[in-house]
Amino acid sequence: MSPDSEKPGAAAVPGDPGAAARGTVTGDPELVAEVEGESGGDGRQGGPWAIAWRRLRRNKFALFALGVFLLIVICCLLAPVWADNVAHTGPNTTHTLEKLHEGGEVKEVVEPSGKAIGPQFFSAGGRFFLGADGHLGRDEMVRLLYGGRSSLFIGIVAAIITTILAVVLALLSGFYGGWTDTVISRGMDVIWAFPVVLLSLALGIVLAVGGLELGPIHLKSSSLWIPTLIIGVVYTPYMARPLRGEIFALREKEFIEAAVAQGAGPARIMFLEILPNLMSTIIVFFTLNIANNMLLEAVLSYLGAGVQPPSSSWGTMISEGFEALYSQPILTIIPGTAILLTVLSVNVFGDGLRDALDPKSKVRFEARAGTADPDAIGPV
Amino acid sequence: MKRFSFFLLIALIAAVSAVALAACGGGGSTTGSGPSTSEPEGEGTPAAEGEGNEGGTLKGAYTSFPDYMDPQISYTAEGWTAMRPVYVPLLTYKAAAEAEGSEIIPGLAKELPKVTNGGKTYTLFLRPGLKYSNGEPIKAGDFKYAVERCFLTNSGGSPFYTDIVGAEEFAKTKKGGIPGIKVNEKTGEIVINLVSPRGTFNNELALMFVAPVPQSTPDEDQSASPPPASGPYMITKSQPGRGWTYERNPYWAKANGKEIELPSGHVDKIEIEIQRNQSTQVNDVESGKLNWIFDPPPTDRYQEVKEKFEGTQFTAEPTISTYYFWMNQTEEPFDNLKVREAVNYAVDPAALERIYTGQIVGTQQILPPGMPGYKKFELFPHDVAKAKELIAESGVKDKEVTVWTDSESPNNDAGTYYEGVLNEIGLKAELKILNPDNYFTVIGNTSTPNLDTGFADWFQDYPHPNDFLFLLNGENIQSTNNQNFSQTNVKPLNEKIDKLATELLGPQQETEYAELDEEFMKEAAWAPYGTRTLSLFVSENINLETAIWNPTFETELTSLEFTE
Repeated sequence: MSPDSEKPGAAAVPGDPGAAARGTVTGDPELVAEVEGESGGDGRQGGPWAIAWRRLRRNKFALFALGVFLLIVICCLLAPVWADNVAHTGPNTTHTLEKLHEGGEVKEVVEPSGKAIGPQFFSAGGRFFLGADGHLGRDEMVRLLYGGRSSLFIGIVAAIITTILAVVLALLSGFYGGWTDTVISRGMDVIWAFPVVLLSLALGIVLAVGGLELGPIHLKSSSLWIPTLIIGVVYTPYMARPLRGEIFALREKEFIEAAVAQGAGPARIMFLEILPNLMSTIIVFFTLNIANNMLLEAVLSYLGAGVQPPSSSWGTMISEGFEALYSQPILTIIPGTAILLTVLSVNVFGDGLRDALDPKSKVRFEARAGTADPDAIGPV
Repeated sequence: MKRFSFFLLIALIAAVSAVALAACGGGGSTTGSGPSTSEPEGEGTPAAEGEGNEGGTLKGAYTSFPDYMDPQISYTAEGWTAMRPVYVPLLTYKAAAEAEGSEIIPGLAKELPKVTNGGKTYTLFLRPGLKYSNGEPIKAGDFKYAVERCFLTNSGGSPFYTDIVGAEEFAKTKKGGIPGIKVNEKTGEIVINLVSPRGTFNNELALMFVAPVPQSTPDEDQSASPPPASGPYMITKSQPGRGWTYERNPYWAKANGKEIELPSGHVDKIEIEIQRNQSTQVNDVESGKLNWIFDPPPTDRYQEVKEKFEGTQFTAEPTISTYYFWMNQTEEPFDNLKVREAVNYAVDPAALERIYTGQIVGTQQILPPGMPGYKKFELFPHDVAKAKELIAESGVKDKEVTVWTDSESPNNDAGTYYEGVLNEIGLKAELKILNPDNYFTVIGNTSTPNLDTGFADWFQDYPHPNDFLFLLNGENIQSTNNQNFSQTNVKPLNEKIDKLATELLGPQQETEYAELDEEFMKEAAWAPYGTRTLSLFVSENINLETAIWNPTFETELTSLEFTE
């Protein structure tokens, strides 16, 4: 049960997926059927999360996208299994002078001209499934899977970092206001003043040379945590700002006044009263942030300021493939396709999630139907 | 069919996205060029010579900006090719190919030096009436200042001149001048006194390091504002990291009646841009947007370009060079001979030949083929098992080391290969890839942390084995602009190098240099892996037949001319 549903007037807050569900629908029979469908069709409305889930379930495109994303994640997680049992090589193992023996035919992994072997699929027992990567003769499929792990790690962990920082800063800024808000907001403005790529690039290049030595934190220049932290930090204002705005609205609500009247301290109000009401927004932001992070990682790695060679990420693979773009464009197309599919699937799923969680979309829906109970809808 | 179309669409979008992303690293494009009839400024008539199609603006490209655009400090092939038409030392090399290009001729000096006092005194005379490109007269004292400026800027070339009387003291104090050089401004006489005879000193007087510059030139890097020229061209614009432009020097000696045996060049203007993408460079040469590129075509396209254009727009040019991995002998684990031997056993020149797509020929010694004193040997046949044994014996297994290389293809791949080799034999290597613009500056600074091992190359400054072996002389280790990256310092071998440097090169000396080469390899001072073949690639409207590839300066920019 959503915490705010226990309080009078709680339905009238933005970001509450339960708010719309409590409206009464009496108009267009088609729409009525849809909204009834949301309430399970059996008269039981369920909690806001259950309603959101039912809405999401009806969005087949978003679920398909989720399926694609999960498939990519699972494949990448199984990278060591593929590397050890199928390809029999590691992501950084070179095979420059190696020869493949296939049905009496001998193929060089890297020709004397420097051209690497193309996709073999299963003709070599899964070795060089997608071919080899240029002069070093590394297995492209193994690097793709391991590269996916790096890209996904950075995408997801950086999104977690952004979310934690943004939520904490937005709560402090929005709840306390005054000088706290001024200091935090101006700090955000400083980061916001720089274009994301430029700022990340500058930080990435500096840290890629010397690593990070910050108090107890010691990160090597090759550590995946460096691009992760950079991306996590630079995107913080983009999430903290809208959250802060919502908190400004929420802190004026009756349930907050009630909590104050009951003697709740600031921490309890921020984390137990306000935060749950931000969850739907946070979830949507988090999802979309993963896609943005992966794109930024690809850009940084391509420019040499992200994942450091020989470790692979999809960005570094594009960069490496670009050196052979003329003779082996597939080396660029493969990681490019991986990024495209992942980002597309995350974005489509994120959109679906937003549609399911965001009451504003419901407001628009009901306003069009002309049937919503205006008292049940909070400020938009 | 629908499924096929869908996936085709996805692949197409991915390719476009990837290319768009990749394009972030691309540079700008250039406009076309061709002969023109621009009139040079200045007092003389800097007419071009030869029978080619004179005039026009030549457009060229480098992949990275030279280390320095300053004659006293630059110590790379990039820098020397760029400054060859701008700065002329007292002696210089003939603008010719192959062995003829290693012939020393008078530059700003009237004639070759008179050597007296048992090889310890060199006397030269500056040609009278010479002027820099800004109209300022070139003085005999400018040569003295150029030598001093070498030391004042901690130039990597300064070790060549420490045998001049008082130079070593000047290197320490940086005060009081070098008393071993005496000049007479009236007669233009320059007398150089050496502490001991030096068999290579004529060669060293022909190096870019001692090309005269005005005494008002600050003793710090002048890459953004290069000193005025004494050669046929002057640099009118220099933007480090982006490019530079040459125009004819209106005060070029030859254009003003002086008999210098150097060509005046054919084109009126040369514009060099930094184009990071070597494949784009090739495309631009093919389309005529660029007329010449400094770097060879990328490995991805080398064979294709060679097959398509060899003899018409392309020539492969073998060089006298050594590509190698250095190992810092002052730090663990490479202070241990067994570890260095292990690396030599583990590095496979055959694999690196493939990585360089046939643009190197494998070798395992310091002196390259074609260098006097070269005698082929192979102390460390490829044997990974033996390398692993040696690492186990040395007790440094899992020791963390940093591998340095630059991002220029295929040096980056060579670094990646090397990192893999070190990991395979039991070390824990971490790769660090730097921008080629400042790679050698960073690894040449001994205070840079974690300078463990990495890629380097060396091209001959002059055809003398000392030019390679002096790199391993421990007396030449410098805190900045260091060239002895392995910081090798074996006293008996230092003494041998010093002794041989005092002698003129003859058969006996060549034998001794060959022995020295082997002795250094017994110390496993480097892990050499190849000698490089470079190339000259020009646009269709450049006359390839008259283009000169000099063994020291590579492409002679003054030799490039447009066809009709």
